[in-house]
Amino acid sequence: MLWQQLANGIAIGSVYALISLGLTMVYGILRILHIAHAGIYALGAYVGWVSFRLIGDFWLSLFIGMAGSALAGYLVERFLYMPLLHLPRIAPLIVSIGLFTAMEEAFRIVAGPHTLAYNAQVGLGDLVIGSFRLTETQVLILLVTLIILVILWAFLTKTRTGLAMRACAQDPETTSSFGVNVSAIIAVNFLIGSAMAGAAGVLIGVYDNQVWPTMGSIPAYKALAIVVLGGLGNIPGTVLASIIVGLAETFFIGILAIPFPRDAVAFIAMILVLMFRPYGLLGKA
Amino acid sequence: MRRTGLLLSVLVFVTLVFALSSYGQDIPIGFFAPITGPAAADGASAKHSVELGLKEVNNAGGIKGKKVDLIIYDDRLNPQEAVAIANKLIEKDKVVGVVSGSYSGPTRVTAPIFQKAGIPMVAGYAVHPDVTWDPTAKKPNDFIFRNGFLGEVEGAAAAEFAVKNQKAKKISIISMDNDFGRSISAGFAMRAEKLGAQILTKQMYKFPGEKDFRPFLTRIKEGNPDLIFAAGYYNEAASICRQAKELGITSQIMGEEGFDSPKFLEIAGPAAEGVIIATNLDRDDPRPLVQNFLKNYRQAYKEDADMVGASSYDAFMILVNAIQKGGTDPKAIQKALLETKDYNGLTGKISRFVQGEVVKPVQIQVVKGGKFRRLGVVDDPEIITPPMKQ
Repeated sequence: MLWQQLANGIAIGSVYALISLGLTMVYGILRILHIAHAGIYALGAYVGWVSFRLIGDFWLSLFIGMAGSALAGYLVERFLYMPLLHLPRIAPLIVSIGLFTAMEEAFRIVAGPHTLAYNAQVGLGDLVIGSFRLTETQVLILLVTLIILVILWAFLTKTRTGLAMRACAQDPETTSSFGVNVSAIIAVNFLIGSAMAGAAGVLIGVYDNQVWPTMGSIPAYKALAIVVLGGLGNIPGTVLASIIVGLAETFFIGILAIPFPRDAVAFIAMILVLMFRPYGLLGKA
Repeated sequence: MRRTGLLLSVLVFVTLVFALSSYGQDIPIGFFAPITGPAAADGASAKHSVELGLKEVNNAGGIKGKKVDLIIYDDRLNPQEAVAIANKLIEKDKVVGVVSGSYSGPTRVTAPIFQKAGIPMVAGYAVHPDVTWDPTAKKPNDFIFRNGFLGEVEGAAAAEFAVKNQKAKKISIISMDNDFGRSISAGFAMRAEKLGAQILTKQMYKFPGEKDFRPFLTRIKEGNPDLIFAAGYYNEAASICRQAKELGITSQIMGEEGFDSPKFLEIAGPAAEGVIIATNLDRDDPRPLVQNFLKNYRQAYKEDADMVGASSYDAFMILVNAIQKGGTDPKAIQKALLETKDYNGLTGKISRFVQGEVVKPVQIQVVKGGKFRRLGVVDDPEIITPPMKQ
């Protein structure tokens, strides 16, 4: 049972990681709490669902979902955040919250209040070793997350754009003085972060077999807690924090059997981190 | 001054005309359901079914020549909203009776309001005991009647079938943490243990919000129970069935009326096959009343009727029947409702109401070929007679 619960925890933690990474990257570079990121996540699920209905191929629907989210993220950055950057950071935060609420309502009005079933054929199959079983959707989540993380790591460490992005996160003005187009870097940042959120939306759509208008409301604040836990803007810290939260939730329910609201775990962890390690799990003072 | 006087008399006249024009015309009946919000599928089903009933009544000439005017409100599954609706129905719409097509939360908060105003309400499928019971005064809300089962009764009937017919000896329970889940699973656990079954695990999950049941189910799998009793609504129910199948759990899954929705069948897909539920509608009931309703519903709304709709339809018809017998005075309607005897309802024959609680058989259905079919009926009076509240 321990192994099975480990798989359950890592699978859900991986999805948290995909959602939280975009949030932490945006914070790292713009210092904006991008609440509407959870709306971008839900949008990815809806776009994926619609394209799966039209095309019937899961993998293609995953890519289209990611592309749809990436585009939406880019539009939000260009037309909502950019014009507000000269204002105190509370202004884009308020806009972000408003946008998120509007997106949830838009999903409800356009797609209806009902839960939509994804019912996808992924074509991977279960991974069974003795009594341990990695279900097909768990294999899918781990595989997709791993691929995305490797690409992200390679991009950030091996390419010039990745280097420029990390430099921007540290000091945008100095980076700009070296001839880097900062606004293009910010756009790339949003594209990547939003595509990952879109992937998370599609994966949850398949994992739970449900796509619904308010699917972003719990991730909206849980991802925030995870990002703080990982040390705002810290990418490896965020991945670690996501997996820890996923595992902790699963163990509280499935092994300790404590009747404890799962969504509180991330926040208790966040409070503890703020008290004892205010720079996050991997952060340095 | 004279102009004010004139204005005033015009106003009085207009009010009088309006008052007179509405008097002696239609019979106003109130209705509320969660038409939007998290329970929108159920709200729509309840509304559709009651509207079907309304059409039948009015097409047949109404009640003693008067048409029924159904006043519909959306409570969005929000108790605060429901309180406002109850007050509006009483004061503005001046209804003679009310039908609740909503869940326990909204229905429960409106019950004391209608009780105080002396307006009879028939609840379609709300399960909480305090709908028909005043917990502070410790006496029944004698203007409130329930067509659905009390959570404990339905749970006990499910346990009866699970242990006696399905021969389940080791059982795990997973239930949603709200009035509905708690009362049904408590009724189930009590009866199952009384019949000698062993309850291996009892788990609760947060509602709304929980979607990933794998940690719960992995723990259940460890005990390898004969049967898993799951108490929850259709979205959660579908997730539980799917994820249990994914994890390779082969135990029989048994649910309750919360599963009874076309949405459950759609989301759970093949994982719904073989799932047994205790509910309030028998699709294979040969009575024309049932078969006509199922047919008309499919014709009108292009989908299959469910328990929520059938129960709301019944609640409406029970009220209409009482108005037919007692007239339009709320007090007389209440008297007629109290005297209900062997009423031929869509969801079964109602022998009577005890403290506002319905007495009728509990239906056991099984999912076969992607549809709910009859598997059995629990009609043992010991189980289906609601316990006296005190």
